[in-house]
Amino acid sequence: VGKRDSGGFRYWHEAALLVIFVALIVLAWILDPSFLRLETQVDLSRLIWELALLSLPMTLIIITAGIDLSVGASMSLAAVVLGLAFEAGMPPWLCAILALAAGAAAGLLNGVFVAYVRVHPLIVTLATMSAYYGIAEGVSHARPISGFPVGFTSVAAGSISGLPVPGLVFALAAIVAAVFLAQTPSGQALYAIGLNETATRFTGIAVDRIKLWLYTSSGFAAAMAAVLFVARRNTAKADIGQGMELDVITAVVLGGTSIYGGRGRIVGTLLGVLLIHETRQFVSWHWERDELNLIVVGSLLVVAVLINALLSHKRAAQ
Amino acid sequence: VSKVAARHEPIARGRSLRGRREYGVLGLLLVTIAVVQCVNRGFLSAGNIRDMLEQCAPFAIMACGMTLVILTREIDISVGSMVGLLAAVAGIACAASRMGLPVWVAVLITCAAGTLLGLTNGVLVTYGKVPSIIVTLAMLIVLRGVTEMIMGGEWITDLPAGLRYLGTGSIAGIPVPVAVAMVVIALAIVLARETPLGRWIYAVGSNPTAAAMRGLPVLRVKLFVFALMGFLTAVATLVSVPRLSVIESGLGTGWELFVVTCVVVGGTSVSGGRGTIIGSVLGVLLLGIVRTVLIFLRLGDEATYWERAIQGVFILAAVLADRIAYRRSEREAGP
Repeated sequence: VGKRDSGGFRYWHEAALLVIFVALIVLAWILDPSFLRLETQVDLSRLIWELALLSLPMTLIIITAGIDLSVGASMSLAAVVLGLAFEAGMPPWLCAILALAAGAAAGLLNGVFVAYVRVHPLIVTLATMSAYYGIAEGVSHARPISGFPVGFTSVAAGSISGLPVPGLVFALAAIVAAVFLAQTPSGQALYAIGLNETATRFTGIAVDRIKLWLYTSSGFAAAMAAVLFVARRNTAKADIGQGMELDVITAVVLGGTSIYGGRGRIVGTLLGVLLIHETRQFVSWHWERDELNLIVVGSLLVVAVLINALLSHKRAAQ
Repeated sequence: VSKVAARHEPIARGRSLRGRREYGVLGLLLVTIAVVQCVNRGFLSAGNIRDMLEQCAPFAIMACGMTLVILTREIDISVGSMVGLLAAVAGIACAASRMGLPVWVAVLITCAAGTLLGLTNGVLVTYGKVPSIIVTLAMLIVLRGVTEMIMGGEWITDLPAGLRYLGTGSIAGIPVPVAVAMVVIALAIVLARETPLGRWIYAVGSNPTAAAMRGLPVLRVKLFVFALMGFLTAVATLVSVPRLSVIESGLGTGWELFVVTCVVVGGTSVSGGRGTIIGSVLGVLLLGIVRTVLIFLRLGDEATYWERAIQGVFILAAVLADRIAYRRSEREAGP
């Protein structure tokens, strides 16, 4: 069932998301055209990049039938490292490098447990989620650190020939992830691992090494998100990543990646992220009620997955 | 070795392994208690024991349900938001400023609502064929939104004495939450070990295909465990929330992951079919007393910030111990 069909149209899920997306745009156009103004959209787009960055490695991990619940905690940990290094009087660029190193180390530890100790990723990352949040809270005493120099905070607000810097960083990461997944043997191996890990091991693919890299890259992406977040908000605190893990998983699954592994694409994830972002921003923009947002996003997730389940059953039956 | 004995060996090995995990958690718990007691004589005072058990009671109740859910190879991460919504329902039903219904009616409504929510999860998982982690993740998000909507940003402060009794009263010297938890734990153990339904739950989780081929009602077993999870979440809400004097919409945030963590530390396998209620209860006790332990070790005010880090380390230690025991038993079983 999980096998990708050999011929025919393969983008049903993406098509369904596009239809929902267009419906949202039409709704916005009818109810509140000011939401669709370019300045509004550019302004709101500042809020999307952290979620978008985290969704890339999460897509790859979920394709291998894994999961990383610790991304939010890794993000918090990296942010706290950044803040404390800054308080210790280090230059901002060095703080950022230390934060990235902390994130990568956090991801590496997950990878070691998943790939070499062979513990279920749900358990490993549930444990490290507690541990990383705990360390971030412990070393920072859960207090906010702010007062970063303008040179650093402008990273998030800056733009190169009209394009926001975080957006460019993300675009680059997305292209790398998409090419890796679709065009390289290791990328193709992710699907094989997700469908049947034992069989994949027997074909001689270095499953453990691939997994180690995946979880490390997830921690690294979390640290990048943390740097962007701290630059945008000018505050580092141990709870900045709280709940992020569930947002990211929601976006990835909404994008059509199967939680059982073996199926998913970067394009779908991009659509998932975009749909969640626009839905959220529109609901906040028009109704100014955050609780409505939760209901809408949660329902969207169930509906998208139900549609996906129906479509795949239909295709399997054919 | 006779053929029969050889055939039975793996089962026996599995049992002893399962036993080891519970003894491991129990050992860790006893060592922790002994160390803290040496540092601070007040730790095992009647008052403190009572406090710790009261704190652990709602999690133990939910852990019983969660164990059964995870045994069937499913998961329910919506329980945190469920607690929030059910607390709001209970508060709105019986607070004098809202509907002002009698307390027993409010209790019934809350339990029914919990069961219904659990049933909804179950239906989407079994008949909707959506993976349970997705269904309950969506529910986690949606129910928090619904709670905020019906609470409208306000707090409920005028809880009637009858409802407060469920969280703060005692029966024959035992606090109500602890008494309720003990009853739930006893019933859950009987259900899991002594009834056909309990054996089906294990069978469905350890091999769904075989269970279906043997004619077990796989879908209805799963539906039952989700409904029971909802009901037990309602019970946990009723004995924990009235301990606070206010009800607000953020109650229960993060509980889902704490309960899952306790169950896993207690030795229940997320791949289903393996685990016990007692193990989960020990897991709740071990992780539930961390904060009190940090306070009683007199490490200063800052020590409590490390609560989650220590919980995380406990989980990793439990998992590692499990892997090491497993590898050793594999080696012993080798040629």
